[in-house]
Amino acid sequence: MKITLDWLRDHIDTELDPATIGAKLTMAGLELDALIRLDQGLEKVQVGLLETVQPHPNADRLTVCRVKVGPETLEIVCGAKNHRPGDKVAVARVGANLPNGLEIQLGKIRGVTSHGMLCSLKELGLAAESDGVLILDPATPDGLAIADALGKNDVVLELGITPNRGDCLGVRGVARELAALTARPLLPLEATPVPVTVPEAIAPVRLEDPLGCPRYAGRIIRGVQVGPSPAWLKNRLEAVGLRTINNVVDITNYLLLDLNQPLHAFDLNRLALPVVVRRAQAGETLRTLDGIERTLTDTMTVIADQQRTLALAGIMGGEESGVTEITTDLFLEAAYFEPIGIARTGRRLELVSESRHRFERGTDPEALPQVMERATRLILELAGGQAGPITVLDGHTWTPPQALTYRPERVNRMGGIDLTPAAMNTFLTALGCRVEPDSGKDSRFAVTTPSWRHDLKLEEDLLEEILRLHGYDRIPTTLPRVPASPPTPDPVRRLADRVRTLLVGQGYQEAIDYAFVSPAIQRCFNPEATPLALINPLSEEQSVLRTDLIAGLMESAQRNLNRGNLRLRLFETGRVFLNQADGTLAERERLAGVITGPADELSPHAPARGVDFFDLKGDLESLLSTLTGALPQFTPGGPSFLHPMRKAQLSTADGTPLGWMGQLHPHAMAQLELRKEVQLFELDLEALPARPPARVSESATSRFPGIQSDFTFLMPERTPAGAVIQEILAVDPTLIRRVQVTAIYTGTGVPEGHKSLTLSLLLQADDRTLTDAESKSLSERVIACADTRFGATMRQ
Amino acid sequence: MLEELSLLKTIALSELTTAASPADLEAIRVKTLGKKGSLTQILRGLGQMNDAQRATLGAMANAFKEEFAQTLANRMEHLKQAELDTRLQREWVDVTLPGRPRTTGTLHPVTRAQNEIIAIFTAMGFPPASGPEVESDWYNFAALNIPPDHPAREMHDTFYLPPDPEGHKRLLRTHTSPVQIRVMKGCQPPLRAIAPGKVFRCDSDITHTPMFHQVEGFMVDEGVHFGQLKGLLEAFLVEFFERPLPVRFRPSFFPFTEPSAEVDMGCLFCHGQGCRVCKRTGWLEVLGCGLIHPNVLANVGIDRERYTGFAFGMGVERLAMLKYGFPDLRALFDNDIRFLSRYA
Repeated sequence: MKITLDWLRDHIDTELDPATIGAKLTMAGLELDALIRLDQGLEKVQVGLLETVQPHPNADRLTVCRVKVGPETLEIVCGAKNHRPGDKVAVARVGANLPNGLEIQLGKIRGVTSHGMLCSLKELGLAAESDGVLILDPATPDGLAIADALGKNDVVLELGITPNRGDCLGVRGVARELAALTARPLLPLEATPVPVTVPEAIAPVRLEDPLGCPRYAGRIIRGVQVGPSPAWLKNRLEAVGLRTINNVVDITNYLLLDLNQPLHAFDLNRLALPVVVRRAQAGETLRTLDGIERTLTDTMTVIADQQRTLALAGIMGGEESGVTEITTDLFLEAAYFEPIGIARTGRRLELVSESRHRFERGTDPEALPQVMERATRLILELAGGQAGPITVLDGHTWTPPQALTYRPERVNRMGGIDLTPAAMNTFLTALGCRVEPDSGKDSRFAVTTPSWRHDLKLEEDLLEEILRLHGYDRIPTTLPRVPASPPTPDPVRRLADRVRTLLVGQGYQEAIDYAFVSPAIQRCFNPEATPLALINPLSEEQSVLRTDLIAGLMESAQRNLNRGNLRLRLFETGRVFLNQADGTLAERERLAGVITGPADELSPHAPARGVDFFDLKGDLESLLSTLTGALPQFTPGGPSFLHPMRKAQLSTADGTPLGWMGQLHPHAMAQLELRKEVQLFELDLEALPARPPARVSESATSRFPGIQSDFTFLMPERTPAGAVIQEILAVDPTLIRRVQVTAIYTGTGVPEGHKSLTLSLLLQADDRTLTDAESKSLSERVIACADTRFGATMRQ
Repeated sequence: MLEELSLLKTIALSELTTAASPADLEAIRVKTLGKKGSLTQILRGLGQMNDAQRATLGAMANAFKEEFAQTLANRMEHLKQAELDTRLQREWVDVTLPGRPRTTGTLHPVTRAQNEIIAIFTAMGFPPASGPEVESDWYNFAALNIPPDHPAREMHDTFYLPPDPEGHKRLLRTHTSPVQIRVMKGCQPPLRAIAPGKVFRCDSDITHTPMFHQVEGFMVDEGVHFGQLKGLLEAFLVEFFERPLPVRFRPSFFPFTEPSAEVDMGCLFCHGQGCRVCKRTGWLEVLGCGLIHPNVLANVGIDRERYTGFAFGMGVERLAMLKYGFPDLRALFDNDIRFLSRYA
């Protein structure tokens, strides 16, 4: 909210400069967002008297003016046409830096030196468009700063008001804060009733919705003359960013800003009295002042007359009953509307207004008569007219003021401070609370909160007021006393942490993608799933909750590739959202990754090659064996967006599915417009078995020598090596310690459709050195097994 | 004979010292000391000598043998060293060439910042806790003292989801405060935890992404007070930014704390002088906090007379931006590897 320094001083005598005021308010909870000097850019602009206006010797469209600015006379070249000798004009002197960014320099224009510039309103930053130079009131003395001449010498403070402090949405509320903070009195509000000169003009009102409108005040004013507002009023409104409309509307806006009380002025002659405050009928429509046709529900409060609905109570007036230039008689409304009702209506209609903003935060119902008197006085002063008596109707009781008790001892304990009850009471009193000792107990006080403070409901609320005025920065700082306690297990977080560390060590870069993706990419990677869709997405691109990490990660990969980042190793851990059969939602922690491009950075040490299936598989074997203490099973198969011959499903030894890995299918590559092969995987982190507790087994450390024994078999080309290894290990699980594939060969010397597979076996016992006979017998059994299971023969 | 021996010695030792290879040395040894070698030839005449002559010659011959062996060993050592030197010279590599590429990966800057935050609070006795990202209205709002139609809901631009099978409203959590509720519900003080995680708001511009990360924390016990909250957060900021910093607490409003405060720290970029980053105020807003609102304690069944608590919350992206100095929030979830490498 914006206020001006000058305006603030209507309510409090303060000599403090605006920066200090801003700092004090900030430290009390009204944060200063900006401090704007209205004369910014006008520092070197003064009023000048045009003494002579001569044609420019070298240009038809220019004139050369002699301008008297105080004691000096300047020669200025001007291109405008509307200036005459004797006019008072705005002169920007050399060195001026105008609000529109123009810097005035001494310069020759077509051979004549110009010592400044005559300005238009636009150039002064005071109008969006303007014709010719600004001609001022002839009575303005030359030499005067233009900011003073135009009333642009005020300073605007822009304050951030939190939702609990609706009372500070008026200048007087801010002044009250400053008064409490600086121990200065708030100046009394001048609200003497105006003389009622048309006593018969009683404002007839029927209050039919006492819950929605606990208090309503109305008054008739006859014979007003609607016209432009005076300069002081325009200046104040414009300074805080409001457009001026006419004197009557400007006055209602002015009081909204000054006293935080929205008012509405109806054109009396367009009403069929009496005015009725009632619930809207479901389905009835109203065209509000913003020109939009609104359909109402029966939870909304409206102001109506005998024929039609006039206004959406407390939010916005209707188009057909407002004040216009031809209005002569007014029905002036000031009311207190129930905050929750206003909030609900405003939200349902998505209608934002200054009035709604204030009513939904709670205004001061007790101030209504005073505000009405202030408004009437201003209208009579600026628009003339005759006032009738005020009608005030009370419906339901409003919430504040409240009777609270507070215990200074508890305030000290919770605040970590040590204040006397007297000091605390002074703070509360300064804010408008009434404080009395609680009957019979001297350790507590009874507090009646002021009618404008809807946020004070509990002892803790008073604690905040006391701490705030004392100053948060004066609360002594200490550390909490924390007892030792056993660590809380969060296994999934720990696992994800470990995965990240390990993968980073393997050269992977962590990505974080949005948890919502486009339905198109989601379908591309998981056509069977029905993702949960957001009701109010920001865009189609981010409209469904991800059911897989890979979709978002592939989009990140695609972005990188499009930007020429061709060597990628990306991974992500995060939640996916799975719609269950029973309609509930499951969140699972997953891990996904993508690799593509050269296996290594360019180097003279090794030939360049692209990553393939086995790069990824090696990474996953290393990761998973570290995490779980065992290698997972890789079985051919996997999702359809992968290469049919280069994909595998991962599972644990007992068959629990873990996820999949493989190379992207050419179809999917085409869909994503990728040209280079991509290897990818996704795993369910929550399905990973925990690594068994570390225990060094004897077999791992046998002290008897082992025998390395190599076998080269010929077998059909598509015999899975994994199966061969399994079967050979099974020949003697105790003595055959390890089987490694050391070479695979097809080509010359190997029959068509076959491959040569070299295996290296480690034979070892825990309790003895194996004899030649034992080793020979084992070898024979291995060869026999390869033959019977896979039709493999030893290659010579 | 003595002359012969003396001559032999001169020649043999001279040959040894100039021999060019171990093979040459061996040839000289055979030629000199072998069965048909020169010394053997000379010593054949020993039989015709008298005792005294024999003793003299014998002693000379032994001295010669010894000197010969020593010289040979020296020469051998020298030659082996020379041979090794030559080999090593041939094994030159260009040590200025880069090593075989081993790229280390990178943690996302948000993860890195979040890990640092978690580590600091864990060390101070506040362990991390987790909760779902899809929440109910009760956990995200009502339990936290934000009733429907409260103006404070406008501070949270909420993403809504279709209701669950029982008709309860579902939404993407707008803060990680619901985790506080989950930890407190059904437990009795003393309680402490932090809740790091993703949160969502339907807002997207230069300074907002629709998803971001928060770390919230809280403590409930007897005698917890505002001065302790100040102490804890000041200690955290100094530790996180690794330098002493001015910190100030400013009254503010959150529905779930009373009293509430915003925490500012002295601007890192201008040291309080005022710059573009701190909007010329010299201060950077980094945290929100306060004493837990008694309604919140009541909502989770904690005795609001006996216990007090504090809670605080911070945006991880904001802290990461300030600490690592990256300029644009939106680059964070773009995952350009050049960005990821730079801020790792």
